[in-house]
Amino acid sequence: MSQSAQKARGWLVGIAVLCGIWLIQNGSGDQLIPPQPSSAQAFAAGPQLQPGSPVAEPLRPSDPVRIRIPSIEVDAPMMRLGLGPDGSLAVPPDENRNLAGWYADGVPPGARGTAIVAGHVDNAEGPSVFYALGALTKGTRVEVVREDGRTAVFSIDAIEVYDNKDFPDQRVYGDSPHASLRLITCGGGFSKETGYQGNVVAYAHLTDVR
Amino acid sequence: MRSPARLVTGTATAAVTVIALGLTVAPSAYAGDDFGRLEITPATAPPGSTVTVNTTACGPKGSGIGDANSLDAGDFEVRKGTHKEVLVGQFTVPHDTRPGVYEIVVSCDDGKDAVGDLKVIGGGKHEKPDHDRPSGHVRTGVGGSVEPNSTQVALGVGVIGMAAVGGLWLLRRRTESTEGS
Repeated sequence: MSQSAQKARGWLVGIAVLCGIWLIQNGSGDQLIPPQPSSAQAFAAGPQLQPGSPVAEPLRPSDPVRIRIPSIEVDAPMMRLGLGPDGSLAVPPDENRNLAGWYADGVPPGARGTAIVAGHVDNAEGPSVFYALGALTKGTRVEVVREDGRTAVFSIDAIEVYDNKDFPDQRVYGDSPHASLRLITCGGGFSKETGYQGNVVAYAHLTDVR
Repeated sequence: MRSPARLVTGTATAAVTVIALGLTVAPSAYAGDDFGRLEITPATAPPGSTVTVNTTACGPKGSGIGDANSLDAGDFEVRKGTHKEVLVGQFTVPHDTRPGVYEIVVSCDDGKDAVGDLKVIGGGKHEKPDHDRPSGHVRTGVGGSVEPNSTQVALGVGVIGMAAVGGLWLLRRRTESTEGS
């Protein structure tokens, strides 16, 4: 074999190694994080109802059984949630990728006050029930089917993202004079060491009852 | 939950009680009535608060049982207070109680009832103590949707592996050709 042919093959090997390294680095570094809301979906100035959207009279409390958000293809049963030992909201078991939960010591969706609903963004296998929560936009319809047979229809007022270290408890969990709803899931940045660095919170209020 | 019917009853009884109260300015005036006065403290309370009731309607030696079912707080115990002729009881206004007037009754063993009205007001911030609300962020994701591109990584490993094999083969060829010349 000629010297130049050997040299060419040497280069080929070198290039192949570099390509391999690039593939590995790119493949492991490329994170497809769940959709995150744009700043346009946040409240312009403090929490308030979306101007111009109707406000329905609160319903009498009745447990929710199912949540539907047609625009992001959510249609999931709901379970009761309590509080963890640290006072944070407990979450549904993560094996079930199509299950949401509501804070059962609080207000059920549709009743006066702030109802809190949480769902996983993903589990170890992949996307879960609230994966696309961050893709919601103002005015999106959210439906909660209740035990009393009625369906509470909510409209999204805003979607915001908060860092875990700076979570605004009062803004998210605070009381409301209307039948308000909060949908919460994980979001913000993601790091392998600490997981999701924040929460995506969708704010909604009751606009209709069916 | 409280039914509207109950609220109406409550309000109707409130009227009765007001009349009764009017008649009972002099304590002896209600001695023969069926309804005695039930003192409620505070008379106006937000959901979640503890309310104390007391009455002398059951007489110095009487006893009885409290009834706060109008606001879903169930029956409650009444005991003799520091003044022996006074029966005292306590109950808590449930968190989900809606504003309105609710009738509270203490039924004496002798058949007499002491009745009073509790006005439940909208709690606003006090509707639920802060510790009853969740605090902090939720843990609803482990990152399984943030998949590293494993096919790409595998491909890279494969390419490097093949390059290594190729490189070794090339080195051997070079050594052989050097020896050959």
